[in-house]
Amino acid sequence: MTARIFSGISNLEKALDTAWQRNKVIADNIANVDTPGYKAKMIPFEQDFDQALSSVKMKKTNPKHMDAQLDTLTARVITRNNTSMRYDGNSVDIDAEMVDMAKNNILYNALIEKVARELRRIKTAVMEGRG
Amino acid sequence: MDVLKAINISGSGLTAQRFRMDTIAQNIANADTTRTENGEPYRRRVPVFSSKNGGFLSHLKNSTESGGVRVTGVVEDQSAFKQVYDPNHPDADENGYVNYPNVDLTQEIINMMSASRSYEANVTALNTTKSMALKALEIGR
Repeated sequence: MTARIFSGISNLEKALDTAWQRNKVIADNIANVDTPGYKAKMIPFEQDFDQALSSVKMKKTNPKHMDAQLDTLTARVITRNNTSMRYDGNSVDIDAEMVDMAKNNILYNALIEKVARELRRIKTAVMEGRG
Repeated sequence: MDVLKAINISGSGLTAQRFRMDTIAQNIANADTTRTENGEPYRRRVPVFSSKNGGFLSHLKNSTESGGVRVTGVVEDQSAFKQVYDPNHPDADENGYVNYPNVDLTQEIINMMSASRSYEANVTALNTTKSMALKALEIGR
């Protein structure tokens, strides 16, 4: 029972972890903005997520069954080798990184808000609506 | 979720850019130094950056994750000195020419602006990381 109560939060947890990972990757790109030959990195989580959603699903005979692909989905870091507009071979676009960082920050805050709300709802149920 | 690692990455960027700034200041301060310890005029110095990898564990996992930036050294610019005709200068050669450092002030100022902007970008990244970490503490409040 308790595992099912927190199943919504565990999905959010994965998204939070990914957002944090992405923040780290962006910070790394920004730190290396003047390193010759450095190639920018990114986490294509949204694409992976869409792909996992649209791919073949396993047959579910019990409502408790989960989609295996979503369950094993993890954040992977890829290196952008194809884009280089600078003579030193560095592929970091500082403006794009700043935009990505702002977007990621908002996403992270939204996810935190959602987790907090989910926890408050559970708390309300536990306190029989008095909490 | 390793808070300190993300902050350290931005911190290494701050250190590297500040070091670059120090080198530029040194170049500008010595833009007219015609004599150094080895008898030559001052040579322009350039810091060399390289990206830090995530250590042994990240090699083991074959991961592309790196851990910020590192200053690997300072090299001297080997381009030619500027020659100025000034026979009365104590460092003038037999033809009356004085070798001045290969420091180009315009280039240094542009590098200084670039370092300053990069430093600001790292500060922004660090502040974002900090605000995310603080936001996570609000869960369950």
